Amino acid sequence: MARSIWKGPFVDGYLLNKAEASRASGRNEIIKIWSRRSTILPQFVGLTFGVYNGHKFLPVQVSENMVGHKFGEFSPTRTFTGHSSDKKAKRG
Amino acid sequence: MTDRRVLMGVIGRPHGVRGLVHVRSYTADPADLPGYGPFSDGHGRRFTLRWVSEGVAELSELVDGKRVKLADRNAAERLVNLRLYVDRAQLPAPGEDEFYLSDLVGLEAMGPDGAPLGRVDAVHDYGAGTSLEIGPLLVPFTRACVPVVDIAAGRLTVLPPAEVVVAPDAGADSTSEAVA
Repeated sequence: MARSIWKGPFVDGYLLNKAEASRASGRNEIIKIWSRRSTILPQFVGLTFGVYNGHKFLPVQVSENMVGHKFGEFSPTRTFTGHSSDKKAKRG
Repeated sequence: MTDRRVLMGVIGRPHGVRGLVHVRSYTADPADLPGYGPFSDGHGRRFTLRWVSEGVAELSELVDGKRVKLADRNAAERLVNLRLYVDRAQLPAPGEDEFYLSDLVGLEAMGPDGAPLGRVDAVHDYGAGTSLEIGPLLVPFTRACVPVVDIAAGRLTVLPPAEVVVAPDAGADSTSEAVA
């Protein structure tokens, strides 16, 4: 069953405070978090979080189309390292 | 860095009795695989392939410049688990600020002061931006964190971002926040 709309999205409170502080500082930093259950809010866009996957903190660069998803969705706990072959990476 | 070979796929089990084989493609889009041929097996033999159906290909060996199709299932069985490589130089040039993952893996990472940080072990992308794994360090692949990538010299410069730790018990209780 989906979460009731009247409750609003769930997010751990300390995350909001830290995100605000990080945005205000304007520094190039990674906010390490364990809260995989928190929803990505619009105020997180542009920040980089290190989301714990039980082993390490995977960098998650928050973009607009990630809003509404959970942080844990972008930090898989079971890693599949595929083959690179012709795959490319674009520098953000 | 351009005289390397890149693994593009692996031949799997035979399909039928006419010499067709299953091929596991490692390219971003499997349909692109035949376009990278001819492939080498690392021991001097060269092959081309043509998709027949999804995951099934008709394989031909290049003998004296001529294509010789696999005759039957027995010939196909002898090629099971054969790896198909191409030279790195055969891959088309990437776009601006684009890099092949195979080029990035193995690069020597240097700090801003020139101190070695290790080698790039892996490149991750789980839908939230690319990141480089350099030993125990995970660095977002951004201009801010990786300002210089020199494929020819085999190195890149890394500015590790500051880390802010937010422990679970660091602040207020969990809350529900309405999105404005």
